[in-house]
This record gives sequence, structure tokens and C-alpha cells, in this order.
Amino acid sequence: MSEKTLPKAPRPQMNDLRIGVYVCHCGKNISGTVRCEEVARYAQGLPGVVLARDSLYTCSEPGQEQIKGDIKAHDLNRVVVASCTPRLHEPTFRAACESAGLNPYLLEMANIREHCSWVHLHDKDAATEKAKDLVAMAVSRAGRLAPQTEVTVSVMRKAMVIGGGVAGIQAALDLADAGYKVYLVERSGSIGGRMAQIDKTFPTMDCSICILAPKMSEAGRHPNIELLTLSEVTGVQGHIGNFHVRVLKKARYVTSECTSCADCISVCPQLAPDEFNAGLSIRRGIYIPFAQAVPSTFMIDMNICLNNQGIVACDRCFQACSKKCIDFADRDQELILDVGTIVVATGVDVYDPTSLTELGYGKFPNVITTLEFERLINAGGPSSGELIRPSDRERPKRVAFLQCIGSRSKRSNPYCSNVCCMNTIKDALLIKEHWPDTEITVYYVDIRAFGKGFEDLFQRARREGVTFIRGIPGEIIEDLATDDLTLLGENTLLGTPYRSTVDMVILSVGIKPRQDSELLQRLLNLATDTDGFYMEAHPKLKPVDTTTGGVFIAGAAEGPKDIKDSVTQASAAASRANILMSKGEVKIPAITAGIDPDKCTACGLCARVCPYHAIVGGKEEGLYRVIAAACQGCGACVPECRFGAIDQTHFTESQIVEQIDAALAGDPHKKILAFACNWCSYAGADFAGVSRIQYPHNVRIIRTMCSARVSPAWIERAFTKGAGAVLVSGCHPADCHYNNANQNTARRVERFWRRMEKLGINRDRLRLAWISAAEGAQFAKVIREMEAGLKTIKPAEIENAAKKLFREANKKSDAT
Amino acid sequence: MTIKIWKFFDREELYECYQCARCTGSCPAMEVTAALGPRGTILKCLNLGHEAVVQDEKVWFCCTCNVCDDRCPQQIPISDLLVALRNSAARRGNVPGRLLLSLELLAKTGRTMIVHQLDEMRAHHGLAPLPPAPVDEVRAILKRAGLEEVLDF
Repeated sequence: MSEKTLPKAPRPQMNDLRIGVYVCHCGKNISGTVRCEEVARYAQGLPGVVLARDSLYTCSEPGQEQIKGDIKAHDLNRVVVASCTPRLHEPTFRAACESAGLNPYLLEMANIREHCSWVHLHDKDAATEKAKDLVAMAVSRAGRLAPQTEVTVSVMRKAMVIGGGVAGIQAALDLADAGYKVYLVERSGSIGGRMAQIDKTFPTMDCSICILAPKMSEAGRHPNIELLTLSEVTGVQGHIGNFHVRVLKKARYVTSECTSCADCISVCPQLAPDEFNAGLSIRRGIYIPFAQAVPSTFMIDMNICLNNQGIVACDRCFQACSKKCIDFADRDQELILDVGTIVVATGVDVYDPTSLTELGYGKFPNVITTLEFERLINAGGPSSGELIRPSDRERPKRVAFLQCIGSRSKRSNPYCSNVCCMNTIKDALLIKEHWPDTEITVYYVDIRAFGKGFEDLFQRARREGVTFIRGIPGEIIEDLATDDLTLLGENTLLGTPYRSTVDMVILSVGIKPRQDSELLQRLLNLATDTDGFYMEAHPKLKPVDTTTGGVFIAGAAEGPKDIKDSVTQASAAASRANILMSKGEVKIPAITAGIDPDKCTACGLCARVCPYHAIVGGKEEGLYRVIAAACQGCGACVPECRFGAIDQTHFTESQIVEQIDAALAGDPHKKILAFACNWCSYAGADFAGVSRIQYPHNVRIIRTMCSARVSPAWIERAFTKGAGAVLVSGCHPADCHYNNANQNTARRVERFWRRMEKLGINRDRLRLAWISAAEGAQFAKVIREMEAGLKTIKPAEIENAAKKLFREANKKSDAT
Repeated sequence: MTIKIWKFFDREELYECYQCARCTGSCPAMEVTAALGPRGTILKCLNLGHEAVVQDEKVWFCCTCNVCDDRCPQQIPISDLLVALRNSAARRGNVPGRLLLSLELLAKTGRTMIVHQLDEMRAHHGLAPLPPAPVDEVRAILKRAGLEEVLDF
């Protein structure tokens, strides 16, 4: 393949380059396997290198001082450090360069510890040769590096919290108290969420609404909080620091002068199931969700109001209202709100057990769910807090709780719902507290009392006479005459079957992601895990950040959690948002993509693959351009461009091509060239190193931010250079750190396979592997398999294939 | 003879089981006899090994109604496991006598039971005599199913 088909980048003249190479011994970690002095001597001879040293610990203070001193004394304009993984010490060495006056983006690292010395412990010669290759690759890439300045974007000092449950309220209050204007967007008529529906909280048995209501009213009257109820987010544009959010605020038909005197209720002729009471009672067409609702304003359900669509069939509420605050002319409004940060706290839905027909929910009146039970036992509920069973409104004497309904099951939700065990124990204790003679049996699989004070509560329930039987009933049978229920199952600890009759069964139902969580996921470019919950940016170290900058998550929308955890997370999310807003600006790493307006033909292919909608423009404008603040630097757009108009800063075509060429300079047909994404596969290879998992030494790894950056042209170049095999590896499909950008990787590799087949090239020489950061063993296994496959291929075959690809590529370039 | 029962049932499936006992609660065999129960069978396979299970006559108590399959939250094909275990048990000679008897009868006459004075009874009700059973066809099926390893016929 000729040089002319590659995008040209200015390469400093050889005599302008002044590269300093530092080979680190890392104590014995590297030098135990790699002969570091020999590598340094080798580096000395590489083009552009003016100085090469080996040192015991390059990351130590003296090691860094050495680099700083050399930069000044020898006028170095590039630094290459051959040591551990860049994921560990790149920031260290970048800071050292910067303090010596060298742009931090002029540093390059060669990973000769995790990817070399630790994984080839028993072959010093091969490890030393590989280290030389890795240093040569780094030196050639360093020659193409360019100084970069990180762009700063301003962050607007306003926040939006989506969801008015306890997590949303907490996040809004924290942000408002910190002095920011907060829009709290809630879909229903009142804030409060699930917590408002619950009677008591575990493990302290606090009255739920008693501790929540003060927070609700504080949020309602806080000067910095603008409460938007009956409102939904319908569109989001912009990026970190500057979001433009479209909110649909539905008509309430009652003005805020409403004093909630309730005169209107008694005259309203229309009835509907009361959603707040889980459908156990009825409400009118004009109603307030619950007594403590904030805002404490009535609302009209236009779905059932006789006055719908301007047909004035009934105005009894209007007549009854002494303050005349009913406004049938109220209309939905669309608001555009500009905010700097967004906290998503949309909560969860409750599992509906109707589909588990063997339990008879929905068919047998005395089988109810825990949410219905919460309303039944609540003083503000349909029975005013009296425990009654639905069929005859008598007090049940024998109550059974069934655990894990809809949780830990491939038939519904595969995960543990986290709160149901403790919720059941709390409910059982509540019954015992009011009606001690009630026989309570809890049928469980495992009681997960993992939190602070949880085990105590569990023990207390047992002491108070709640029976725990291990083994979920397989079937519930209803007695038609008495409506009593018989449970059939096995006590697994005794190994004996049971057949017990109770008055009422409470299904401890699990929680699941909101049915329409996908909508917000799309609008905000969030990622979801396999269970459908929104995914955090890092499960350990960035638990409330999302993959979209400036958007944070809190509460059960991120995964099942109890009130305490939701509040903790809400405060954490608010604090993370606060950091952004109090700084007022944010630095974007200089790895964004850029489009050359001269080459752009406005075809729009790049915009279509961008997972962040960061590429805007169109045919009318005649070009597309990248919004640097929205670009996360995955590079998925670069290979998509047919005209070579896009390149990614710091991961440019020419830099990577230099690396490929250097890696394949000697004995290419024996080598495996691996492209690994920064977050998963490169980290997985690092993990193999840390775990000392040994694998063949002929692999050379090139790092990109995302596997979607890997251009088919690189694969082609590797094969035309005679590489034995090529590996493209990235995160597992659902775990991509760039919003499933790696689906492009799969598509491009598949297309390359087809091309190979067409040319009669053995397609097994190109492999696509999904390797996570924890799968070091898997990385080693893939390399071993590829090495075994490579052994069966003759050098002549490789050469032949290289020629075929070369001819085809040239034909193509002539055509264009 | 050693039989690889895991050829017919993916052993990995067993590890999905967390012993909730919904299967046993739905098991009609457990209602009438001290059968192993699906949960017990899985637990024994995991803890004692299937070798111990296939020695037990109780593997034959399952009536293959498949309700345990339907209700298993982990969607473990439990009845497949039981069929595989019984295959193995049979090849080791662990077959209940009565079952062997009817199998032998099936192989010889094409029917699993002989009803005394059947034709007379049918005639009394105005029914024609039963047509002859397709013995050769039945034997071919039984051979194909590997019954020769269990029974001489």
C-alpha cells in the first residue's frame, strides 16, 4: 500500500526530533526478566533519540527529577518512558513533563511491565526483544505527537433533577442549599415517590411519611427550587455544562391558589382507582394524590372528567370552589430550560406478579403484594390502618409472606431486588406490634439482612414469633367457600413437604427499572446494564457519574436500593454536580475528533455513528463539525469517513500507523498485532500481567480509547506488512464505555472478514474478541489460541495474502 | 458400564439452582410418596454426585409432568435431568421390577399390559376385537432407544 493513501500529518524532521527514552527497572519487576540496559542501548540507536537511560524507579522523585533535568539540559522535545501501564503512571510523567516546560501530550509510554516482563517471566531473551519492539513503537509514535491544549467549557450554574422521589428531593435540596437554581421535574402530581407510599421504614421503624413530609415541604418552598410537577422531559440537547432541556408541563386545571379545602371532591361525579393506594380505593376525577402532597394543589384527571375537550357537561367542582381556582382553560406547556448539570433519579416500578399464575395474584382476592399491604396498614390508607383481608374485610389471623417474587428469576428479574427481605421482616413486625396473636409465616429462600441494623431486626422478628420457613410454595390453592389459601411446598431444611392454610398471602414483590426508562436513556445517552438499570461510569470509583459528562444518577434508577442508600447516592450525585458548577468550567481531554472542512463532503456518516450526537451539521451547511465539549473521544467516527476528513487528536491515523509499522518491522509473519481498547481489553491485558498469566510473547499491543477507533485500513496495513495475525478487542457489547460504539467495531470487522473471504485469505487470521478489564485469563487464552492458529499458517501464505490485499487496495485507490 | 449423563443434560444448569423449592412445592409425586423431589435430586447431584442418585430407586417416582420445569425461576430443564438420570439408572440395572415387566411385555406383545378376557369384554360391549399390535415396529423403536442394554428381548 502506498504512502499517498494515508492521511498526511506533519512529521518533524529527524534532526528536529529530540527524544529522551527512559527504561525503568521497576526494582526487579521489569529487570528480573528484561535486560533493561540492553533495551536502553538499543533505544539510543533509534532515529530521533538523543538520549536513553535506564533507571531503578522512574516514577520515584529522583527518576522524575532526572527527566525534568534532561528536558532542560538536553532540550528534549519528546519523552518516552518504558515502564508500567500508562493507565497507572501516565498522569505522573505528564505532570513531570509539564513542570519542565514540555507539553504533557508529548509524552509517550511503552508498557514493558504488564504487557512484557510479567507475562513472559521464563523467557528473558524473548522478553527483551519484545521490550525493544515496544520501545521502538513508542519512539515512532512519539515522533508524530503534537502539543495539545485542553479546551475548557463553561458550566452553567443551574441544575435539573429528574424524578421527585426521596433521592430526587435530597439531590435538589443539597444543590439548592449550595446556592444553585434547581428545576425538580416530577411526572406525577406530587413529589414524594415510592417512599410516600410506604408505611414504616426499616430497620428503625420510622414512620415513612413523617420523615419525608418535612423534606417535601422544604423542597416545595425552597427559593432556589422550581418545582415542576406533572412534567416530563421530552428532549435534551447540548452537552456538559450547557444542556437545553425540553420539558412538557401538563395542565393541572387547578391554579396554585387552591387551599386544598376539598369542597370540590364531594361534588365530582367521576370515579377512578386511586393510584397512590395501589388501586385499593377509589378517588374522584378531581383529587390530590395524598394528604401531604407537595404542591398541595388539587388536580383534574382529564381522562375521566366530563368536561374533557371543551364539552362543558359538568362544572360542579367549579361551582363548589369558593376561591374559584379551577381553570378549565389550562393547557399543556412546553418549557425550554438551560442547565449545566442533570441528576437522574427516576426510581423504579414494582413487579406485577399476575403472570405467575400458580400464585393466583389477581385471581384470589386474598393474595396481595407488599406495596398493597403498605397501603392497607397505613393510617392514611383505604382501611385507615386496619389490617383486613380483601375478600371479607375481616382481620386475617394467619398471614404468609412469600419472598423473591419476581426477583432472582430468569422468568422475570434475574437480580436480587435488595429491599424485599427487610421490608417483609418490617411488615411482619408491624403486624405483630398491632395484632400480636396473628400467626405469621415467612417463606423465603435466603434472608439477606446485610445492612446496618438489619440482622438485629431479623432476630427481633424471630423472637417475636414470626416463623421463617425455607422453601417457596410451588402453588397456592384457594378454598372457594372460605377464600382461605392453602400453600403447597417443601420445608427444605427439614426436607419435608408442607401444606398450610392461611387467611392472607402477601407476595414480597421485587422492583424493576421503569417501564419507559429507555426514553430518558436515549435522550441523555445513558448506558444501561443487562438488567435495564442505568449504568454508572465506573462501578467502584465513579458510582454516581454516568458515561455522559455532566449527568449523574441517584437512587433506585441505578439499581435496587433502600431509602438510606438512595439518599446517600443523591447527596453524592449533588456533590459531584456541585464540583462541576462551583468550578464553573471543565477541561476536556485533548483526544476529541476533528473534521477537516476542506475534505468534508457533508455525507453525514460520521454523525450517524457518533454515540454522543457530538457531530452536527448537514447538507445545507455543506459540512459537519464536532462539538468538542460533547465529544468523548472514542474515535468511532474516524474510520467511518470515506474521505479521510476526520482524525482524532492524540490518536491520529499517522501516529497509529507509525506504531503498526514499527511493530511489524522485523519478522512480521511471526507476530500478532493486537488493538485493545483503553477501558476493557487493554486493562484486561494489564490484569493478565498483574496476575502473572503467561502467554506467547509475539503479541504487540496498540492502545486506542475505544475499539471503534480501529480502522479497517489499519488491519489492511498490518496484513500488507505481513503480520501473521491481527486481534481487535474491546469491551463486551453491553459494557462499551462509549455507549455501544463498539457495535461499529463488530460491523467493520465482519465486513473485513467478508473481504478476506472474497480474496481467499484465511479469515481466522483476523480475530475479534470481547475482553473485559477483569478477564486477564481470557486475554491470555485468546493470544494462545491465535498463536496456535498462526503455527499452522505458512509464511508463503502470509506473503501471498499481503500481495492480494495490496493489489486490491491499490486498485481501489486508483478508482478514487 | 459408565454412562455420561451430562451428555444429555448440561451440568452447568445445575449451578443455577438456589434451592427455592418451588419445584418440589409443585411436584405431584411428592404429594403421594416420599419421592426425591426435583430440588432434592439437584442438591444430591451437586453434593453427592449423580452416581449416588442413580442408585436410588426414587428416581423412578417422577411422573414427568414437567410442572417443575414450568415453575422453575431459573428455567432449569429439571425433567430433562430426571430423564437423563433414569437412563443412567436403567443401564446400571436400577429399574423397578414392575417397569421391567411391562417393558418386556411391550417388547414381546407390543402392549404394556395384558387384560384378561379382553376380546370377550369388547364383544360384550359390541366392540370389534383389538387389531394386532405392531410388534416389529415397537421392537425397532425400543432397539433404537437402546433398550437392549437393559433388557433381553
